[in-house]
Amino acid sequence: MAGSGTGVVQGATRGLTANATIGLFVRLKLRLIAGNLRGDLARQLGFAFTVALAVIVAAGGFFMMSLLRFGSPDLARDVGIIAFTMIFLSWAVVPLLLFGVDDTLDPAKLALFPVRSGPLTAGLFAASATGAWPLAGLIVMAGAVAGVARTAQGAVLGVAAVLVLFALCLVTSRAITTGLSGVLRSRRGRDLLAVSAILVVLALQIPNLMLNQGLSADPEALVGSVAAMMRWTPSGMAAHAIADGGAAGLAEVAALAVLVALVGWLWMVALRRALVTTDASTQAGGKVRRSRGVAGLLPDGPVAAVVAKDLKYARRDPRGRISWLAAIMVSGVISYSLTQDSELPSTLATAVGPACLGALVMGMQSANSFALDGRALWMNAVVYGSGRALRADLAGRHLAVALLAGPLIALVSIVTAILSGTPIWAVPAMLTAWGLFAVALGVGAIISVLCPYTAPERLNAFTGAAPGQGGVAFAGALLAMVVSSVVALPVVVPVVLGLPWASLAALPYGLLIAWAGRRMAGHIGYARFPEILSAVSRPT
Amino acid sequence: MADSVRTQGLFKRFGEQVAVGGVDLVVPKGSFTGLVGPNGAGKTTTLSMITGLLRPDGGVIQIDGVDVWQDPVVVKANIGVLPEGLRLFERLSGRELLSYNGQLRGIPKAEVDRRAEELLKVMDLVEAADKLVVDYSTGMRKKIGLAAALLHNPAVLFLDEPFEGVDPVSANTLVEVLRRYTASGSTVVFSSHVMDLVERLCDWVSVMNRGRIVAQGPLAEVRGERGLNQAFLDLVGVRNGGGEGDGLSWLGAAQA
Repeated sequence: MAGSGTGVVQGATRGLTANATIGLFVRLKLRLIAGNLRGDLARQLGFAFTVALAVIVAAGGFFMMSLLRFGSPDLARDVGIIAFTMIFLSWAVVPLLLFGVDDTLDPAKLALFPVRSGPLTAGLFAASATGAWPLAGLIVMAGAVAGVARTAQGAVLGVAAVLVLFALCLVTSRAITTGLSGVLRSRRGRDLLAVSAILVVLALQIPNLMLNQGLSADPEALVGSVAAMMRWTPSGMAAHAIADGGAAGLAEVAALAVLVALVGWLWMVALRRALVTTDASTQAGGKVRRSRGVAGLLPDGPVAAVVAKDLKYARRDPRGRISWLAAIMVSGVISYSLTQDSELPSTLATAVGPACLGALVMGMQSANSFALDGRALWMNAVVYGSGRALRADLAGRHLAVALLAGPLIALVSIVTAILSGTPIWAVPAMLTAWGLFAVALGVGAIISVLCPYTAPERLNAFTGAAPGQGGVAFAGALLAMVVSSVVALPVVVPVVLGLPWASLAALPYGLLIAWAGRRMAGHIGYARFPEILSAVSRPT
Repeated sequence: MADSVRTQGLFKRFGEQVAVGGVDLVVPKGSFTGLVGPNGAGKTTTLSMITGLLRPDGGVIQIDGVDVWQDPVVVKANIGVLPEGLRLFERLSGRELLSYNGQLRGIPKAEVDRRAEELLKVMDLVEAADKLVVDYSTGMRKKIGLAAALLHNPAVLFLDEPFEGVDPVSANTLVEVLRRYTASGSTVVFSSHVMDLVERLCDWVSVMNRGRIVAQGPLAEVRGERGLNQAFLDLVGVRNGGGEGDGLSWLGAAQA
């Protein structure tokens, strides 16, 4: 029989050496990256954009860091400490958000290969370092050597410090993703992570706010105090070592190296555990409460069914939670910042404006009404046999968002009116904003049937639509925003110009537009329901 | 025997590729019909068009003599659908999913609850009834999907790969429910690759290959003396691969 002479043994593997795994994993990572070039045009463009951005960040970051050379040594050191800490933190957080995108991050995908955890760690470490963004981070940090070091020893020590810190970034991010891999793979973990992504976005605003507050005072003192807080973090020690360049710096780099070994060991332990722990991600979650809620008060039928379903989705689907959290946050920020600006005179417009903007933001959620249903929308499609049925469906959706947005808009109106100093303005603000919200629903219904797109279940920072639908999503949002604003002008403008009584007409006007919008959307939407169905069920 | 489902020249293309190229499907009333074919034969596309989820590029579809795309109200009230890919409302519990379906179809709430309770019991989903569908296993999802498709007591049921990835216990439950359903004179059309199952359950078979029906008729007629699996392989024209001399000589126990 052929092959008998070659001495092939069943299941033969000698186990890979560390060098072999490093080569293997680096090639794997490069393949995974290059795989982006094979998709459709939108994906290729997205990839090219990311790479270009990484190059710009690398070059710009290097340049900015090296400019520190011309600042005072203390300032250079402090800025270096802050920059290093930001890079270190992004290494810890970003891979968590990318889990499931980068296949080398999930230990479960490697569990079946006959590789010992030692060589596996080396290979994964190398894979982590491969890619445009890791290199960009390294280049930016290298810029600090040029900018922060003031002596030759400092520069030499700086190279060592940057390399050690880079290694620490890699092992820390791996240790975190590996340690949390079980949680990240479970449905609840992913839900939680999706919602926490928005908290990360919030956290990113904190330095911004601090700078805004601090710039008016003394920027250098601000940098100093922030750097003092971060002085003894690993990243702070690395930057300090570059500036110091002496025995203290050497000790700091040595301490960092010990830390790398320690975290690396923790990672190996976590990896060993992850490789032999069963995947619990499919084990069932808890039960939901059996209650009919507000929808129980409505008469039986499709409208009540849709209201009940949509209210549950706003609460249970991470995408629903995020969009409502975002709407609340945006309304809060607008209301706060507009009323706190002491330069502006306090008029009716300052009370009405924030409520109306908040209403518009919340109304925008209905500009792609079918997105949260996504692939499940066929269940409605196999039932609806006329435009009238679709109209009832849209009415249910509108009622559900109105039940959430109505009280929120009222709250924003009251808070803004109180902040502006004339509480009675809450009444015209509320009425006008409700009217505007209803207008946005009517316009949104038509946009929903004309420009539907898939909302990805995994949210990421770059797009809110499935690959290839970014343009539709953008056009839809823009259209909804502009058309809603224009259609609402007849009722909003008189109020803003100081005629509070005009607000009485806002709600009836808005309801009329909402009704007309649903009527039109029912007609158009029913005729192209199969197309809507396929547009919201794209793979993401 | 009257026809429950009849299509003529059903046609659909995606870009350059013709997915369904002139399908004339016939399903007699009260039959348990298996739609079989290899991957990419056009089974899912055909079922999607028949159930009104995908717009055909050409052809006529009639269910109980009514045109699907001309008079959808009548047709949609009379059909139940379980599409491929288990696309359900993930964030509803099983019970809520059934309730949603029934209410959407205008069945009074009390009646929906009564039927849902019975369906959950028959499908052995009572314990999982208040868990979210997103946490269901494949078998549970197929069962809750079938329950949702049966809730309004349709005359014709279309199931796309209802047994794919389903454990034997759940599969048995599905089979029992479907048998009871067809025994009362209702029609089931389901697609599958599992020939044994089709042979065991169906009295009518339609074989698809490359977007066309290549054989259609009573099971005994289509399978002849050969058994359905061999008949199927002959119909779709599979060469006899996997034998000696095709490589893979290293595969198997060591000879050294």
